[in-house]
Amino acid sequence: MDADSDVALDILITNVVCVFRTRCHLNLRKIALEGANVIYKRDVGKVLMKLRKPRITATIWSSGKVICTGATSEEEAKLGARRLARSLQKLGFQVIFTDFKVVNVLAVCNMPFEIRLPEFTKNNRPHASYEPELHPAVCYRIKTLRATLQIFSTGSITVTGPNVKAVASAVEQIYPFVFESRK
Amino acid sequence: SLIGAGKTPTLGGGFHANLGKESRAQTLQNGKRQIHHLGNQLQLNQHCLDTAFNFFKMAVSKHLTRGRKMTHVIAACLYLVCRTEGTPHMLLDLSDLLQVNVYVLGKTFLLLARELCINAPAIDPCLYIPRFAHMLEFGDKNHEVSMTALRLLQRMKRDWMHTGRRPSGLCGAALLVAARMHDFRRTVKEVIRVVKVCESTLRKRLTEFEDTPTSQLTIDEFMRIDLEEECDPPSFTAGQKKLKIQQLEKALSKKLEDFEGEISSYQDEIEIELENSRPKAKGVFANFTKDDSIEDNTSSVLGEEEAEDEELEAAANHLNKDFYNELHEKDRVERNEDGECKNGNEALVRPPALESLLGPLPTAASLGITESIKECISTKDREPGENTGDGELDLSGIDDSEIDRYILNDTEAQIKAELWMKENADYLKEQKEKEARIAKEKELGIYKEHKPKKSAKKREPIQASTAGEAIEKMLEQKKISSKINYNVLRDLNSKGSNTPKKEDDSTDDSTNTKKLSRRKSIASRNIANPVNSVGKRLRPLISTLPAKKAATEEVTFPNAQAEAPGLEKSAAVLVESGPVTYNPDEEVEEEEIEEDDDHCMSALQLVGGNDYGCDMDDDDGY
Repeated sequence: MDADSDVALDILITNVVCVFRTRCHLNLRKIALEGANVIYKRDVGKVLMKLRKPRITATIWSSGKVICTGATSEEEAKLGARRLARSLQKLGFQVIFTDFKVVNVLAVCNMPFEIRLPEFTKNNRPHASYEPELHPAVCYRIKTLRATLQIFSTGSITVTGPNVKAVASAVEQIYPFVFESRK
Repeated sequence: SLIGAGKTPTLGGGFHANLGKESRAQTLQNGKRQIHHLGNQLQLNQHCLDTAFNFFKMAVSKHLTRGRKMTHVIAACLYLVCRTEGTPHMLLDLSDLLQVNVYVLGKTFLLLARELCINAPAIDPCLYIPRFAHMLEFGDKNHEVSMTALRLLQRMKRDWMHTGRRPSGLCGAALLVAARMHDFRRTVKEVIRVVKVCESTLRKRLTEFEDTPTSQLTIDEFMRIDLEEECDPPSFTAGQKKLKIQQLEKALSKKLEDFEGEISSYQDEIEIELENSRPKAKGVFANFTKDDSIEDNTSSVLGEEEAEDEELEAAANHLNKDFYNELHEKDRVERNEDGECKNGNEALVRPPALESLLGPLPTAASLGITESIKECISTKDREPGENTGDGELDLSGIDDSEIDRYILNDTEAQIKAELWMKENADYLKEQKEKEARIAKEKELGIYKEHKPKKSAKKREPIQASTAGEAIEKMLEQKKISSKINYNVLRDLNSKGSNTPKKEDDSTDDSTNTKKLSRRKSIASRNIANPVNSVGKRLRPLISTLPAKKAATEEVTFPNAQAEAPGLEKSAAVLVESGPVTYNPDEEVEEEEIEEDDDHCMSALQLVGGNDYGCDMDDDDGY
């Protein structure tokens, strides 16, 4: 999605987080002992399983809830999740793949100009918040999209949102504001 | 004057109107106290403290204190005031005072600012200069050094050093340089102790400043001239450098590719020649290479199973090229094409490696892509099915055998189990001990579920000079209803009570008759105690009769008070519990006198000529 008539900003998706349920109780101990690439964190009660093919790290709870992180696209996330469910199935659990949902998408985008942060904050008062003592970036929240953007003075912007579309439209929305306060 | 008199009911409070008032008052008071306490430590003036209290009131009314530590909210209110007033207080100071993580405070502060829709103006490092300069003790030259530091800061701002940086760090750097300019030797350590940043941060700021053209000016020049040119922010320049390096690398790799292209064209030519010249050899080689390539393929494609025949052949071709490259490297060297030779060598060294990588990689990639495409198509078809909660696992594109590799066989599982046990030995030990303990306790029958204890509140002994004061203080502590008119209560002690007019109490007369006999025993006790029990007595009354007028409660008061002596014994024993049973006939013994004797004396005096009556004039007061 282009942000401006001249410029085509490439938005790089760095992380997609998704959840799904297996609708069956999982014996973490068994997974931990028989899985080849798992880390068993007994004190918190979860198992980390890492897949190589879509690079994915999954956190598995005994209740059957699984969170998958590390994918670089929504399709990849789904593929990885299904792979994971299949491997759990092979371990002997009656897995049913339900409630798959992409929960969070993290993307990075680079503006070709620098941004004056104090000025930007003043112009976008309620949405933008800037605390140099705490964090060097301005935190801009778009309530309608439920997206958060972190705008740095070098022009690089980190966006997080519930899905890829929201992230793209967030970047589109912010571009004019950021353009105003450019150096 | 203190508690109940001026309370106005909150409008539109909904169901909170009556229930939460007392606790609300308590919260606000507590908050006010804490604000003043903290504010005094920060040397904030009264106006600031009042504003902070206003913020706090707003926060409480928006229920922002729920689920948050009161101290955090108080600190956030105070910092908000500091920001709006522009006082040189940092969030770091507050966190130092409270010993709380500064980011936690920051979170609360941001939330507060957002919810109260208060826009805190951005913090300006110039505000901190006078404060830090004072702490660095420049003596007479304090003002001069401050002015120099201010100029430096402005310069830094224009040179874009201040965006995204902690203002305290910038201040520290500016002050250090200013001090040196005026011949004050302040070491980095002294400065960081005052400014509260890390040494490396300070050094970094100094080096950044060094990079700006302003640093080249002498002291006098700096004071007089201002350079026109503005610098880019340091992180930007670093980013630019990176970009440049990347571009260089790209250019290099492009060149390499060009060379590779040339080389591959040479390769083709050579192959053609070879085919023409040595067909048999090629056949032999082809067999060898095919075998090799198969082995290589399977060994390198670990976990990427989907190698079909076509793929194998493609890989074989790639590796054929590889093999030929190695064969003909020597030829190349002999040919001595100078410039290209060198590059050719480098490039040659690379292509074998690349191609061996390229061998497996394209296969995997192509497979991966086709996989996902297949899935996309198939999932589109199946999407409605899946979404309706079918729950069936869509196995398209998932190869079982690959996933089998994720599952260990028995020996491996055993080894892993051992390893894990060793790693987590401590935790497992703890768990075992805990279980053993619980088992033992269960056997002995003492096993108790340990619930988090609510620490019992310790009450301070009330110290007051008059009975009235004591009552006030006690009621303040015990948080009894604000509907009671305490003035009247005080008068009770001084004047006398009215004829009782209570609804459900039948022991009026008995208590009234008994009062004379009780007088002395009453006198020996503290008024506070009976009123203690009175308070308790009142609570159930109040809770059951919320709508009744205060007047009736006043009326009940003297009665309750009259019963008080009777209840005293039980009261003295059951300080914390709820309703106390009526025991007017109980013989009252002289209990320990807990409070001062003076108290008793005054009580005696007060009680001396009393009739336990109360004025009924205050009916209209409410």
